[in-house]
Amino acid sequence: MASKQPQKPAPRSVRKADSGEVIRKLEHLGLDMLKEIDDKQTPSFTTALRSKGNVLFDEGVGCLRLGEKVEQRKFVNVGQARKFMQTVAIASKCKKFLREDSHTSIRGLFYQLKFSLGEDLDEELFSEQSESNPLIEDLEVAIDVKREDLNLNTDRKGVVAGPMKLRDKFGGDETVIDCTKQGRSGWMVPSDVDNGMTIEQLDADYVLVVEKDAMWQRLNEDKFWKKENCILITPKGQASRGCRRLISRLAQKKLPVIVFTDCDAWGWYIYWAIKTGSMNLAYLATDIATPQAKFVGVTMQDIKDYDFLGKLTIKAKEVDIKRAEEMLGYEWINRHPEWVNELKTVLKTQKKIEQDALQGPSLSFVGEYLREKISKKKFLP
Amino acid sequence: MPSDTDKIFANFKEHSVAEFFKKNKQMLGFSGKVRSLTIIVHEYVTNSIDACEEAGILPEITVKVDELDKEGERYRVSVQDNGPGIPKKHIGKALGQMLAGTKFNRYAQQRGQQGIGATGCTMYAQVTTGKPVKFVSEWDGKKLKGEISVDIKTNTPNIQNLVEEDNPDKKHGLFVQGEFGEVKYDRSLGSVFEYIKRTALSNPHATLTLIEPNGEKVQYPRSVEVCPARPKETEPHPLGLAVSDLIDMAHREGPSATLAVFLRERLQRVSDAKVAELAALLNGSNPGLPKIDFKKPARELEWPQAESLIRAFAMVKWIAPESNCLRPIGAEQIQKAMTAILAPDFAAVTERPPKIYRGGIPFLVEAAIAWGGNAGHVDSNSQRGGDIVRYANAAPLLFDVSGCAITKAVKDVEWKRYNIQDFEQAPITVFVNVVSVYVPYTSAGKQALSDEDEVYQEIKYAIMEVARKVQLHVGGIRREHEQGERRKAILRYVQQLSRDLTDLANKGKSEELAKRLTDLIETKYMGQIMEGKNEDGSESSNGNGKKKKVADEEEEEEE
Repeated sequence: MASKQPQKPAPRSVRKADSGEVIRKLEHLGLDMLKEIDDKQTPSFTTALRSKGNVLFDEGVGCLRLGEKVEQRKFVNVGQARKFMQTVAIASKCKKFLREDSHTSIRGLFYQLKFSLGEDLDEELFSEQSESNPLIEDLEVAIDVKREDLNLNTDRKGVVAGPMKLRDKFGGDETVIDCTKQGRSGWMVPSDVDNGMTIEQLDADYVLVVEKDAMWQRLNEDKFWKKENCILITPKGQASRGCRRLISRLAQKKLPVIVFTDCDAWGWYIYWAIKTGSMNLAYLATDIATPQAKFVGVTMQDIKDYDFLGKLTIKAKEVDIKRAEEMLGYEWINRHPEWVNELKTVLKTQKKIEQDALQGPSLSFVGEYLREKISKKKFLP
Repeated sequence: MPSDTDKIFANFKEHSVAEFFKKNKQMLGFSGKVRSLTIIVHEYVTNSIDACEEAGILPEITVKVDELDKEGERYRVSVQDNGPGIPKKHIGKALGQMLAGTKFNRYAQQRGQQGIGATGCTMYAQVTTGKPVKFVSEWDGKKLKGEISVDIKTNTPNIQNLVEEDNPDKKHGLFVQGEFGEVKYDRSLGSVFEYIKRTALSNPHATLTLIEPNGEKVQYPRSVEVCPARPKETEPHPLGLAVSDLIDMAHREGPSATLAVFLRERLQRVSDAKVAELAALLNGSNPGLPKIDFKKPARELEWPQAESLIRAFAMVKWIAPESNCLRPIGAEQIQKAMTAILAPDFAAVTERPPKIYRGGIPFLVEAAIAWGGNAGHVDSNSQRGGDIVRYANAAPLLFDVSGCAITKAVKDVEWKRYNIQDFEQAPITVFVNVVSVYVPYTSAGKQALSDEDEVYQEIKYAIMEVARKVQLHVGGIRREHEQGERRKAILRYVQQLSRDLTDLANKGKSEELAKRLTDLIETKYMGQIMEGKNEDGSESSNGNGKKKKVADEEEEEEE
């Protein structure tokens, strides 16, 4: 274990922000700019730098977060003027959404702001969504709110089943969702699990996150969550912000979080994004990371422990090898000898294995596998 | 002693100069069709300007070129000036006898040093079309019309159809008209068109008009109303002489003049003591320097002896030549001419003191740069690019561009340092006039300056000096342009930002905020233009810091 002093986590609100407070934050941002103009200064906008160079691993919290580097954008600077204007336009538009209590996607926001700057100007406020997306993130960081708090929805992705009841206040109505009564389809995780969502009841022993929807359907059909008394979640590949936020909230309710993915680059990435957060979303880390998450499989050790798996491995692709090498270089990963061992085995054997392979002997074998590994706590950290 | 001179010429021309010309016309500049036409016009125009100046008349010269056949190889050139005209007794020598021009007797700085003169043109007409040259000379209430050709065997003028009339209006001037073959008219770099333009640039007191074969009239009215003072006539300095010059001079002496007397009387700074020094060197005891008898008549000087004398001149320490005979065009005159002819956005001229080359020959360099407007040369693709206009004693040098020290000096200047990113693409005319009694030409064609170290350096420094003035201007334009562009780029966002920011802050009025933001932007960028700052507030490279550095560098180079 590294003996570094745990660093102070960036001050971030874990609790949900109320819209009035977000509106006040946005107005304050504008008032600060007006004050600069009063002082005969160019108005400016300061946000944390979100480049890789400013992402660091916070040992104290166990997640990736942004460092201290900031980026300042000035209006009276030919290289920054357009971005500055665009940032203010986004802030102003989001404030309007909050006042009207209306929601849209980041694409919806883009279309709201895609218009000509004037008849005589051959220029649009925004012409590509790729321009507006990063500025939304800048704004999130600058005033310390999530985009969901700005009434900007993200894509919904992820399905849940298990002993949990949620109260959903939406569009003036209130519904209680019982995740044990969602049949074969499960409850779909919304983009925002904070605003208007409360967990009413939670009787599970742990949370099981499985990478693939097909595996979730297998386990749902087998009533795995009922038998094991767990919350069964699939992010359907990479976990969305909402899904990660939900997993994080459940972990805060003291539930162990166990992740089950393929033994390959993509699987590892999904696990680590859930556990420590991703580089891209490092600014949200304390909100959406689940540092206590454990990795149940599939592992290289499983190939030794389960004879049949030996025949079901596939050759590791270049991307898997590259990713494994990369991971060995990350301090938040190579501090775990178990992971170092795992990844080195991958590099040595050049093999990978999918979670679906566990259906080899019989369709429901995967349940036995998970039961055994979870009960014996055969996890990678 | 005109009668003597005539006799000497008769002797000297045993194997006729004219005969020589016929066989070697390209040596005298008649090589290439465009160039030959330009040489013809040049000879007539310089003669006219010199004649006008001598008479204190502001020159007014019209050149007309007509195409005579479809193949475009035969042209008629007509030149009319308002000079003093040529009296009857001189006209034959002026237009029909080689090496008989008035300027051969004088060694003041003059334009027409090419030496073939108007007679060369007459001969060229004869050789290529077989036709004599027509002339009309008006002077002192007289008018003389006729046709002239050269008797090539004897180098004597042959005048026909001579008509003498009264000239009651007392008009004065000379008109010459000849038909020439193996020539071509266009507007390329070495053309008559370019020659007239360049001559106008270096002669702001002259009004020059060119009527092109297509009837187009190009006129350069004078921009200065004062005729330049005549140059002081001086004897040549030994160090400024070529072997042929020495022979020319010596052969013009009377039979009684010994070589010693000739040297003392006809050359500058040659005393009896110096003649003794030369005699000591040339007493036959020094290798490479054959014995010379200084008591022999000068007119019997032969080529090998003249060569030895020139070599010996270089071994003796001389008092520097007089420099008060140098006649620059003048900074003000150049400035006016460039402004009138090139209509540039900016023009700058240097004024530098005379310098010395080859250990004692005085010269001075005038340099000027015109930027923008019609400055620069426009090529056949209508692309404007850097132009170098070269002069020696105000006479344009149109040929041998690449072999000239002026061209080399211009190319060697680091133009980027002066905010001129690419000289070849810039709207710039660099004007260089090298003034000297002895211009170091590369060859007899007298179209390029040789690479004399002192001359080359001085040309370069003169250009650098004037380039610094242009730099400030060009840098200013560029900075202003860039800052203007920046200002505009930001100003276009003001309306949108003002609306959004007042909405966001929930405070103030959009129009009022827009006004304040506009003021903020204007203040910043106007301020930067005034202070010469860049966007980031750093000192602009056009500012004083850089200028100082360049000045230092020149000092270093000069050391």
